[in-house]
Amino acid sequence: MTFLVVALVVWLALWALNVWIAGSPLSKARAGKLMVPLIFGVAVLVLWEGLVRGLEVSFVILPPPSAIAAKIGASLPVLWQDAAQTILKGAIPGFLIGCGSAVLVAIAIDRSPFLQRGLLPIGNFVAALPIVGLAPILVMWFGFDWQSKAAVVVAMVFFPMLVNTVAGLQASERMQRDLMATWGASYLQTLVKLRLPAAMPFLFNGLKIASTLALIGAIVAEFFGSPTYGMGFRISTEVGRLGLDMVWAEIAVAALAGSLLYGIVSLIERWVTFWHPSQRH
Amino acid sequence: MKKLMTAAFLAALATGASAEDVKLQLKWVTQAQFAGYYVAQAKGFYEEEGLNVTILPGGPDIAPVTLLQNGEVDVMVDWMPSALAAREKGVPVVNIAQPFASSGMMLTCLKETGITSPADFADKTLGVWFFGNEYPFLSWMSQLGLKTDGSPGGVTVLKQGFNVDPLLQKQAACISTMTYNEYWQVIDAGITEDQLVTFKYEDQGVATLEDGLYVLEDKLKDPAFEETMVKFVRASMKGWKYAEANPDEAAMIVLENDQTGAQTEKHQKRMMGEVAKLTAGSNGALDVAAAERTVASLLSGGSDPVITKAPEGAWTSVITDKALAQ
Amino acid sequence: MNRVLPVLTVLAGIVVIWYAASVWMNATWVFDQAERAGTTVTWAEVIPQTMNQDRPLLPPPHQVGAELWKGLAGQAVTSKRSLVYHGFVTFKGTMMGFGLGIVAGVLLAMAIVRFRVMDMSVMPWAIISQTVPIVALAPMIITLSSQLGLTDRDVPKAIIAAYLSFFPVLVSMVKGLRAPDQMQLDLLRTYGASEGETFLKLRLPASMPYFFASLKVAVAASLVGTIVGELPTGAIEGLGARMLIGSQFGEPLIMWASLFAAAILAGLLIVIVGFVERLARKRMGVPG
Repeated sequence: MTFLVVALVVWLALWALNVWIAGSPLSKARAGKLMVPLIFGVAVLVLWEGLVRGLEVSFVILPPPSAIAAKIGASLPVLWQDAAQTILKGAIPGFLIGCGSAVLVAIAIDRSPFLQRGLLPIGNFVAALPIVGLAPILVMWFGFDWQSKAAVVVAMVFFPMLVNTVAGLQASERMQRDLMATWGASYLQTLVKLRLPAAMPFLFNGLKIASTLALIGAIVAEFFGSPTYGMGFRISTEVGRLGLDMVWAEIAVAALAGSLLYGIVSLIERWVTFWHPSQRH
Repeated sequence: MKKLMTAAFLAALATGASAEDVKLQLKWVTQAQFAGYYVAQAKGFYEEEGLNVTILPGGPDIAPVTLLQNGEVDVMVDWMPSALAAREKGVPVVNIAQPFASSGMMLTCLKETGITSPADFADKTLGVWFFGNEYPFLSWMSQLGLKTDGSPGGVTVLKQGFNVDPLLQKQAACISTMTYNEYWQVIDAGITEDQLVTFKYEDQGVATLEDGLYVLEDKLKDPAFEETMVKFVRASMKGWKYAEANPDEAAMIVLENDQTGAQTEKHQKRMMGEVAKLTAGSNGALDVAAAERTVASLLSGGSDPVITKAPEGAWTSVITDKALAQ
Repeated sequence: MNRVLPVLTVLAGIVVIWYAASVWMNATWVFDQAERAGTTVTWAEVIPQTMNQDRPLLPPPHQVGAELWKGLAGQAVTSKRSLVYHGFVTFKGTMMGFGLGIVAGVLLAMAIVRFRVMDMSVMPWAIISQTVPIVALAPMIITLSSQLGLTDRDVPKAIIAAYLSFFPVLVSMVKGLRAPDQMQLDLLRTYGASEGETFLKLRLPASMPYFFASLKVAVAASLVGTIVGELPTGAIEGLGARMLIGSQFGEPLIMWASLFAAAILAGLLIVIVGFVERLARKRMGVPG
């Protein structure tokens, strides 16, 4: 019971601290902006630990964060091996191939309004479909190693990326395109100098969506057959063994990797589209 | 007349009030593997004992143990390796009956890969189920002296999904199958029996006990619960023996209970026939020698054994002794 | 015509490629079988044999179509073999998750707009929550909700669906509730409007176009969540469970038919939400 009380008191104290920071001049500073969510995260972990220990929740239902942290510390090599298989070999190649080919296809059909009008509604529709359902089929086609995982990722990211790129290529204004024409710019010059840069905000929007889909695809595919390592493999196996601390350790790695991927895309976006109003600070 | 009706009414009331609710969690989806329980329900064997039994099908990500632990179900069907693993993880489950006398697990290999004996496994890819079912395999491989980390001279292990595709697509030389289920999917796919080689775990001396009935240890201390379980086991075994004697009827009962609508009559009838071979000879009582063999096999499971020490009190004959006495 | 023709052309192209691919992919099996039987086959013999296999690697369109038709119209809609029945189960899950997601998203957005501390502490985590692969969390959500006594298997499914669908609603609502500019806010202050009145009369109406725009994304996300929830969580009904069962029993046709049924369901949901959106926009006098 003391655990529960201590946890609640700490939670309230940290929350009060956050309220104070948010109201103080510190909230405008970079440090304040970073501190508040971090404190919030810590408060959640404290509450979790307190609830689990205070209410004596069984280990096989929900392990406390301290046990998960201990497990992460104890099994770094395994976690690294799993992440390398699922993320470096499955998600990232799939992400690059899927997004790359979507951009290429979008440019390829750029000169044919007919194909665009045909592909766009279909692409929009497919982008809304539960493509994850293809995972068992693709595992059957491409075998159990990373190739099938990459294939699932490609299938998942291709259409959202295609739709965003096609929309982006139409984003430049009539006037701008006319201006390029009066300068005697060729199709290629207009594409490279005007329309692709103008499409960048849309492209990055697609890339951000794709970055979260990529991890989901790679992990789901491992549920349907995999070598004896990989994050999806570990999660499904450890659930069966009731090794829930390991499951949560993998979830933590997945969250970290997902945020990292998203963060990298955002950083590149800021660097590439510095001119866009949404990036001005 | 009036008195008689009152008596009948009171009797009905009495049985109505004393009907004991039992929730049974299966290890997997509704199929003939669990025919005994469905038969006992459909034929009224549970009702005769005054039980009101609810049968809950399982699925790939349902760990029956968690449901048992938080009291959502009273009794579960599980395999001994995963039950013992749960016990060591702090969930005190106890085997109260063992309807399956022998193991139906085997490795099925394509003859064209050149495999004729376990010695030929070296440098081949083998499909294995995980989710707690990998331990007998790992201990078998360590007995054969084959490494499972993919190093040369060892075997490459593939975590197979829930179907036989890795064999059909030649992604693996051998895959795990149950005599009553996946093996027939391979046959149905158009591969004939003489194109296959099978290695039964039972024949290789590495079999572990499969479908048994498990409850929580502390609940068993309650005499009322114990009494309910005696009735439950008795009625269930009656269901199993009926299913063994009338496999076709049992298969049809299972089909009626299938909620996915994906099971076929042909497959379920065949499955029932094979399952009957595994339950044959079991009266529900656990063969302690077989249980100890399971424990020994699990303890020798290579570098990452499923259990680190021999369990104590993981099975009891109290229920079956009473159930069989009458 | 101008809009239909291109779509039909592309669809026809897809069907042609599909047929070619299914001949190519299913042929391996025919050759293997011939080799096992010790005979040889020519391509002319192979092609018909790739069109009607029991376990095709890639079933040709007509096989999928037939199975889909059998599932949709071949039996009573209450039958457990009916795709309408399973589709309805998935639809129910999607709607529960969608509703839960909307409520969570709107409430959170209100708190975020009202309290600066909520904005600063919760918003970053809301973004991070979407980068956590939901499939990794799904088994945990099921374990936890059964621990809390929610035995109904619809509940974890709805939570997973809501986890995916609250985010688009949250982001749009935050944007929408902040849409009124300073001048409008000042005007209301000169009227002596309370905070509650400002919210009800200005912020809420201003956010509605944003709200409806987010619904299409949210409903699609909710469907994906429901199917993910049905895939590995031992759900016994629903399109996701059918896909899994099809995979488990080696019945690719069941798997493909459920996949297309899911696509039809997605289409229906988007059309319905689009219709509601148009209706709402018309009533609020937004042009277009």
